[in-house]
Amino acid sequence: MEYILKNGIVYDPANKIAGEKKDVMFKDGKIVEQVSSDAKILDVTDKIVMPAGVDPHAHVAGPKLVVGRIYRPEDSRKGVTSKTDVCRSESGFSIPSCPATGYRYSRMGYGTVTEAAMPPLEAKHTHEEITAIPNIDITPLPLFGNNWFVLQWAKEGKIDEIAAFVASWLRIVKGYGIKIVNPCGTEAWGWGGNVHGIDDPVPFFDVTAREVIRALAQANEMLGLPHSIHIHPNDLGHPGNYPTTVNSLDCVKDIAKNGSKRNQTIHLTHAQFHSYAGTSWRDVESGAKEVADYINNNKHVTCDIGQVTLDETTTMTADGPMEFDLHELNGLKWANKDIELETGSGIVPFIYSGKAPVPSFQWGVGLELFLRIKDPWQVCLTTDHPNAGPFIRYPRIISWLMSNERRQEMMDNGEVRVWSYKRTGLGTLDREYDFNEIATITRASAAKIYGYQDRGELTPGYNADIAVYDLNPNDIDPSKEPAAIEHAFGNAMYTIKDGQILVKDGEVVKVVPSHTLWTDVKGFEEQEKTVMEEVMPTFTRFYTVKFENYQVQDHFTPNPTVTEVKASK
Amino acid sequence: MKIITLTLKKKSQIALEFDELIPDKVFNWEKADFENYQVPVGNRRFPLTDYFDIEVEGDAASPEEVKMILDGDFGRVKYIGCKMSAGEIIVNGDADLHCGAEMKGGKITVHGDAESYAGREMKGGELEIMGSTREFCGCSYIGDWRGMSGGKITLHGNAGKQLGECLSGGEIFVKGDCDILAGIHMNKGFIQIDGDVTRWPGGQMKNGNILIKGKLGILLEGFVYDSIVVDPEIDGKSFSGKYIKYNGDIAVNGKGSLYLNAEKNREYL
Repeated sequence: MEYILKNGIVYDPANKIAGEKKDVMFKDGKIVEQVSSDAKILDVTDKIVMPAGVDPHAHVAGPKLVVGRIYRPEDSRKGVTSKTDVCRSESGFSIPSCPATGYRYSRMGYGTVTEAAMPPLEAKHTHEEITAIPNIDITPLPLFGNNWFVLQWAKEGKIDEIAAFVASWLRIVKGYGIKIVNPCGTEAWGWGGNVHGIDDPVPFFDVTAREVIRALAQANEMLGLPHSIHIHPNDLGHPGNYPTTVNSLDCVKDIAKNGSKRNQTIHLTHAQFHSYAGTSWRDVESGAKEVADYINNNKHVTCDIGQVTLDETTTMTADGPMEFDLHELNGLKWANKDIELETGSGIVPFIYSGKAPVPSFQWGVGLELFLRIKDPWQVCLTTDHPNAGPFIRYPRIISWLMSNERRQEMMDNGEVRVWSYKRTGLGTLDREYDFNEIATITRASAAKIYGYQDRGELTPGYNADIAVYDLNPNDIDPSKEPAAIEHAFGNAMYTIKDGQILVKDGEVVKVVPSHTLWTDVKGFEEQEKTVMEEVMPTFTRFYTVKFENYQVQDHFTPNPTVTEVKASK
Repeated sequence: MKIITLTLKKKSQIALEFDELIPDKVFNWEKADFENYQVPVGNRRFPLTDYFDIEVEGDAASPEEVKMILDGDFGRVKYIGCKMSAGEIIVNGDADLHCGAEMKGGKITVHGDAESYAGREMKGGELEIMGSTREFCGCSYIGDWRGMSGGKITLHGNAGKQLGECLSGGEIFVKGDCDILAGIHMNKGFIQIDGDVTRWPGGQMKNGNILIKGKLGILLEGFVYDSIVVDPEIDGKSFSGKYIKYNGDIAVNGKGSLYLNAEKNREYL
């Protein structure tokens, strides 16, 4: 089937198209340069046309989500809708049901999302849940930062072994790249502790976060994976943590990049939670300037923000000790899990109220980072869904970024408390994003950071993943009309995925199965074999599952999109 | 004043749901509107007239002027008066689950028993039950930590387990007996129980007051003896007699007060 999206105003930052009136054509699920005269015309005159959105960091599938849904029925009752001819019923606000996750991303014009923390042991479960989420392709990142094998080899400086282990494990668990969460800290939580800063050794293994981050970054570049290491550094949410963040980024500066598309060797996730100065919550100040300055001066770094949306939400992360701290802080119910040999996790509900100083401060820090980081290719829009807020708030964040007036109004009329500008630099920043920068931070930069060769651009040959928003950029002043911006970006006029129209005028009109993106490393088979021989005795001794039951068989990924990597060493 | 009378003519085995039939929504309905209305039954809807004879008298310009009289055994009708903010509902019979849940104002009187979750998350208004209720009267939604925050529940009969769970305001008055864990997790508000209590009132309570006039089975270890008080005054109300006052629950560093009738609980002295 051939289509022409006619007369739209196209924002395609990867191809340096910024608000040009042109037609976008696609055929059989791919973007093409030419279509025949039989092509169906979709009239989108003077509407914004962008590649479909790419979310670089969210938690949408896996055991944490299920535990969250089980222990927060009070969240599930929000956002309940009846089934329609096309959709199943929806439920949930911060932890929506699987179908609701797909529909809601689709309505915002998104096409791809990263599930940012897949414990390898729970990979089967994660993949099963991915198959239950329609309409949005999912990229799972397995966790390596507290893995016993990695800790041991990092201690011994055995980078080849780590590289071979990662190559094997990406295939075994069907993962896309390397995620690191509170390196050494989650393992220390198994001993009832945490680590602070990147040079604080974990008990027993006696290895530091610096060694683990460096080792995994070297392994990542040795394999030439499409994505860089993806790090949630130590000391999340602790006042005075920005030096830890900067040190984590700086410790891989000398490692050469080996990836064709991306520019970075380290991706810092939910930077907002890692950019605090001060010593306690009494004297906390924003460290956004220091972190943003570092990012502005260092092209080997990219980040996403984790913007606080001022909602009641559910925090869930593999950073077990941090979740316990949070539970101590707000006194709300706490779930905790240890994933043997690999990682851990915790869940706590959290209310980011604009009437409270700390959430107001966090809201300010997030926006300050957005406004201070100069190159939009180094930053992506996220809320670390659901940790700082649910992903359905992306359109609202876009409206904040595009309107200084709206931000000032929120600070003036008390929607957020004074800490939002007295403890941050937000009050002094009047930058406003334009549509091209929004297109960059919501799709193009994320796609580049992940090294996607098939999405995030409207390049011929790429997937026909396209979003159309009911806005005329020449007609609207985003600075003055934040509500219109939020509405338009939340209700796509068209969401097109692989050439199929999934959303029309904000309503889901078609439901398709999602794809799972994973990376298959070729050319490392010999090393992998040797490493597996070394791993198996420990595996058999300590894991409570047999290796045969641990592997993710092919039927867990019925629609795989495999990126094949030829390891260069 | 508009008087709407629904008289049961057929009891459904599957519960009917009445959260759309509250004064706030039906104050301007005519008889024909009720006759055209389809009531949710399980996952389907059926005509209201299948189950009730309907009479409508008078006019109302606002929900305050509505009185709904539900005649018959409403023991399979859920959500009676759920989320109502004004007007009055009188049930001449039993009521099923969630009667008066999330109500903000107005008054509900049940002249029979009410099932579990009566007055769940109530924010205001008055719920009077002449009979007994089962579990979770005046509680929170499952999983939530924010329970009833206002209004008054009066129970002439007995209460079940976890009465006033997560109570954060308002008042619950039980004239009969009460089962375990009354006022669990409560942090504000007042629970008065005139009858006997099996055990563990105030488990993990952070604050608020519980007064028990009857005999208590077992007190939780987290309550520490404070003093003997005579004719205490609690939340502006005076009570005659001698009471043993406890503070707790210290397991959660709670500052709540539990008053126990000294005459009936001599073994605690």
